Amino acid sequence: MIIKGLTVRFGAFTAVDDVTLEVPEGRIVGLVGESGSGKSTLARAVSGLVPYTGEIVDGDGVQMVFQDPYASLNPRMTVGASVAEGLRRPTPADVERLLGLVSLPPQLASRYPRELSGGMRQRVAIARALGASPRLLVADEITSALDVSVQGAVLNLVRGLRAELGLSMLFISHNLAVVRYVADEIAVMREGRVVEHGPTRQVVETPAHPYTRDLLAAVPRLPAP
Amino acid sequence: MRTPSGLAGAAIVALMLVLAVVGPPIWGDRAELIDPVAALQGVSAAHPLGTDNLGRDILARVLVAARLSLLLAALATAIGAAIGVVLGTLPSVLPRRLGRLVSSTVSALVAFPGLLLAMFTAVVAGLGARGAVLGIGVALAPAFARLTQTLAASIAGSDFVAAARMLGVSKATIVRRHVLPNIAEPLILNLTVMIGASLVGLAGMSFLGLGVQAPGYDWGRLLFDGFARIYVNPMVALGPAFMVVLAGLGFNLMGEALAKSATRSTVPKGAAPAAPAPEAGEADPEAVLEVRNLTVTFPGGVTPVREVSLTVGPGEIVGLVGESGSGKSLTAYAVGGLVPYPGVVGGGPVLLDGQDVHALPATERRKLLGTSLAMVFQDPMASLNPALKVGGQLAEVATVHQGATRAEAWQRAVDRLGHVRISEPARRARQHPHQLSGGMRQRAVIAMGLMGVPRLIIADEPTTGLDVTVQREILRLLREVTEESAAATLFISHDMAVVGSLCDRVVVMYAGRVVEELPADRLVSGAAHPYTRALVASVPDMSADRSLPLASIPGRQPGPAEVGEGCAFAERCALSTDRCTATRPPLEEHGKAHRVACWEAS
Repeated sequence: MIIKGLTVRFGAFTAVDDVTLEVPEGRIVGLVGESGSGKSTLARAVSGLVPYTGEIVDGDGVQMVFQDPYASLNPRMTVGASVAEGLRRPTPADVERLLGLVSLPPQLASRYPRELSGGMRQRVAIARALGASPRLLVADEITSALDVSVQGAVLNLVRGLRAELGLSMLFISHNLAVVRYVADEIAVMREGRVVEHGPTRQVVETPAHPYTRDLLAAVPRLPAP
Repeated sequence: MRTPSGLAGAAIVALMLVLAVVGPPIWGDRAELIDPVAALQGVSAAHPLGTDNLGRDILARVLVAARLSLLLAALATAIGAAIGVVLGTLPSVLPRRLGRLVSSTVSALVAFPGLLLAMFTAVVAGLGARGAVLGIGVALAPAFARLTQTLAASIAGSDFVAAARMLGVSKATIVRRHVLPNIAEPLILNLTVMIGASLVGLAGMSFLGLGVQAPGYDWGRLLFDGFARIYVNPMVALGPAFMVVLAGLGFNLMGEALAKSATRSTVPKGAAPAAPAPEAGEADPEAVLEVRNLTVTFPGGVTPVREVSLTVGPGEIVGLVGESGSGKSLTAYAVGGLVPYPGVVGGGPVLLDGQDVHALPATERRKLLGTSLAMVFQDPMASLNPALKVGGQLAEVATVHQGATRAEAWQRAVDRLGHVRISEPARRARQHPHQLSGGMRQRAVIAMGLMGVPRLIIADEPTTGLDVTVQREILRLLREVTEESAAATLFISHDMAVVGSLCDRVVVMYAGRVVEELPADRLVSGAAHPYTRALVASVPDMSADRSLPLASIPGRQPGPAEVGEGCAFAERCALSTDRCTATRPPLEEHGKAHRVACWEAS
């Protein structure tokens, strides 16, 4: 997918300002920036949830996974029914296959979201998005509402899905360490604009923009032994 | 439902339903019995409510009329609810412009007097029971439509509806599958109240002569017939009126009790277990904060914090880490006397500068904590009143707790804002919280803590909502403030990297207990508890090897009611043995300034 000159305005406020960004086939592009930098609005525009001006080439087949797994599943629907929502003619076998993709047991299909932990719910949300065979998956802060103990498992899953299905992804997070771990490329947003974009290694090791350097310097690090 | 008013409502409603079923078969004949000799009598032993112009017993007629009155009310409610739900959900299904037209029509109708709408409809639809039921139904519809629309709008904005839209689910299916099931409960509860309203409304219509026509009769009709004689024989009118009031009251009380019990989660009842006896041990004279055997219990034997002991020295920052539900926040709140009702703090003592906080009388405790405790929450807006100026809120601390004049307090507030490096403090003090950025608000909250002389600072995830660049500055500020005031700081966070870089010592909690306590610089290489090690390994940092999968901890933490005899972590632990599941390891010394609770600690 190629985003060309995308702009989102809310009244007089410009949330996303003339952004051009390419998400190549089978790559994970990480999007980082401070809150209010426009990264979530960009995600919603790409997913067709907010109106925008500009052009998106190959923009169909986008699915999104949301930040809060407690709000993104209908509490009155079973896990199986939620997962089947993106399928044309859902069969139990399809639901089982989708649950298998996110390493959940098929018995879970008859359960309700309230019986599941946050990490499991987020897997269900991912399975639901995968059901529509998306060409691009937008992940908006999908680990920030999760406990540290399950964050790692969800990040492993994301990387596994990329390797297994060749999924293209726009992975949004304010946590640089998380983005560095999962993304092939990193785009840095500030005040609605992309200020730097390049391969992960290059952006992390030799950042070109002063704001990127500032971000990197501010990442908290565990004291070295 | 267990409240007296809820029980009374349910009893009245049950009585009405029984009356509607058994009334006509039992008293039906008596109610129709014409006795010209006894016509227009007042209260007597034979006719407790008197008789009408044909000598029929009014009490029997009132009891028999329950069936028709309730039936008509139920019908009117059903009509009102059906029209209301359709009008209320149409805006979510129709194209935007048509939807707006529908919702503004509903708004206009809500403003229109209900009884007028009912009378208008009844006149158009024809006199009689059918017209009255239609009229009341139409009059009830706008309010129900508005309620449906408001509830539906909150569901329509949720993430799962956004997800369904992206998956290509049609609008009608979204309403049927996602919206209606999630708003059904409050709507159904509201129906109960609506039945009460339509009962009263129908009685009103019949009383005006627009409702049930002779020879049929409902309560309203009986009231209409009796009203002409109210100055002679008041009981002939008051009898039916009483039934209308009683039934209306019953349905309203029950509806409100149902709605209340649906919004409030029930608290399990049961005696809280006795707090364990405090362990004897010498207090550390150097420590600013010393907590021993702190326990927090909730009714029903739920104990989210178990025998936690902590010591924090002057100028020291101690990190409290653990998964959500580990009891880390509650521990800090218990120290600050902020445990939410109905939690009970047990054990102790909690010594702040050697004074037992929980042993003090309430007024003195409030004074002590008011001046020497500073709280910084994740959301600074939780501590700031959006309607007041920032400076005024800070100044309040000084006027209330330190007896400063308003001018002095304002001066100090401006000074403190400058101290936490807010630029142009005098101008910022005159602004409202929403005019400040997130980082600046958090600084203002810290400045509020600095109005007194803080001895204890509790910071609960203070940087979680902030960006890394702002986070760094807030953490620096916390460090400076702690050192210059020689306060004890408890820093609660789930972010191991933040805790590791800021704190002096780290206390790791799991299922309500401290499982390890160690110097922060030993987190990476010196952690002895398998849980601490797993926590550190599961967080990617800037040097994580991207070719390897991240560590994760299988299973889940047991809830505060599920903690058994053994080590709470045993189920998720790779090193666990029979001994771990049978007996809980005590928290023991493990080298210098290091304590760990694990049988297998290396």
